Amino acid sequence: MDHRPFEDWLLDNQTLTTEQKRQLNTHLRVCSSCTAIAEVNLALNSVKELAPAGGFTDRFQVRLGAKKKALQLRKYWGLLVLTLSTVGILGWLAWPILKALIQSPVNLLASWITSLASLWAAIQAITRTGAVLFKVVPGFIPGFVWMVILVTAVGWSLVWVVSLMKFTKFSQGV
Amino acid sequence: MTDEMTWIIQAQHGNDDAFTNLVEVYQKPVHNLCYRMLGELEAAEDAAQETFLKAYLNINRYDCERSFATWLLSIAAHHCIDKLRRRRINSVSIDEDEEGQIDIPDHSAPDPESETLKHQQRERLQNCLQSLDPTDRAAVVLRYWQDCSEVEIAEALRLTVPAVKSRLHRARRALADLWEEKPAQMRHERKPYGSPAF
Repeated sequence: MDHRPFEDWLLDNQTLTTEQKRQLNTHLRVCSSCTAIAEVNLALNSVKELAPAGGFTDRFQVRLGAKKKALQLRKYWGLLVLTLSTVGILGWLAWPILKALIQSPVNLLASWITSLASLWAAIQAITRTGAVLFKVVPGFIPGFVWMVILVTAVGWSLVWVVSLMKFTKFSQGV
Repeated sequence: MTDEMTWIIQAQHGNDDAFTNLVEVYQKPVHNLCYRMLGELEAAEDAAQETFLKAYLNINRYDCERSFATWLLSIAAHHCIDKLRRRRINSVSIDEDEEGQIDIPDHSAPDPESETLKHQQRERLQNCLQSLDPTDRAAVVLRYWQDCSEVEIAEALRLTVPAVKSRLHRARRALADLWEEKPAQMRHERKPYGSPAF
């Protein structure tokens, strides 16, 4: 049996003219397949909502309280584990220094002071060299190069800002 | 500003009472969607509660320019789809349906027989619904029980509008096929003490 166009009318929930309705009714009298679709449509259009058992909101509040407690407990445990791990890792890293400090504190302090003095001397040397370069180098670089550097820096900053805004935008999904 | 929007904003600022008001308003559609998806009252209650918990925990991610109902039903639908996929629930006993619900046909109504017939049709429909693919089922429930438009269904299920149309078309076809098969099976499945209502 040819079900077209009746099947499409029913499956797509199309709005029918009086003549189309008459043709459909005639077809439904002889076609069980299309009758099933029509019955399903009728049943779907007369469905009713099922309410939950009374006290749903109270039960939700109880569940929410339990969930909050569980989350809080998890937070505390997380913090405890994190603190203990940090202390452990720091202790492990600092153990050679602590060991040396316990065994010969004078030698260790002397080596630290020597290192600090070397660092200070290095910083002073770098500062002086930098000051000389800062006075001399700008004279060798033409003005348009400075413009190119400035424009590149501004463009790069804009790209960063736009990217950050895009990535930090909240999504709707859960 | 509507009451609902006020409650949402208050809930986003940590006001639990405001969120409770939202639960009060949306408990019925959310529970109904979960029941139609899962087919068991106990599972539906649990899923509805979980939906509201998820919504509570993620309320700050809700975009106030969109429909709150669609956002909430989307959470519920995805929760149920995940649950169905995990547990592979394909069939649910109709004898457990709507157990404990005050949903007995009204014999004082002008036509109790037609009331009973309507109940039987709803039962038959629920039975057929359980055989659909979870996403198709969600689309059908959102369309007919929650009166959602195709655009809202697409938004809730993260599908395109043509995909929703195609799923609804396919689901109606599958339901019609099941509708033709189910009556005979249902007569055998019903327990002798089963109420004609449910």
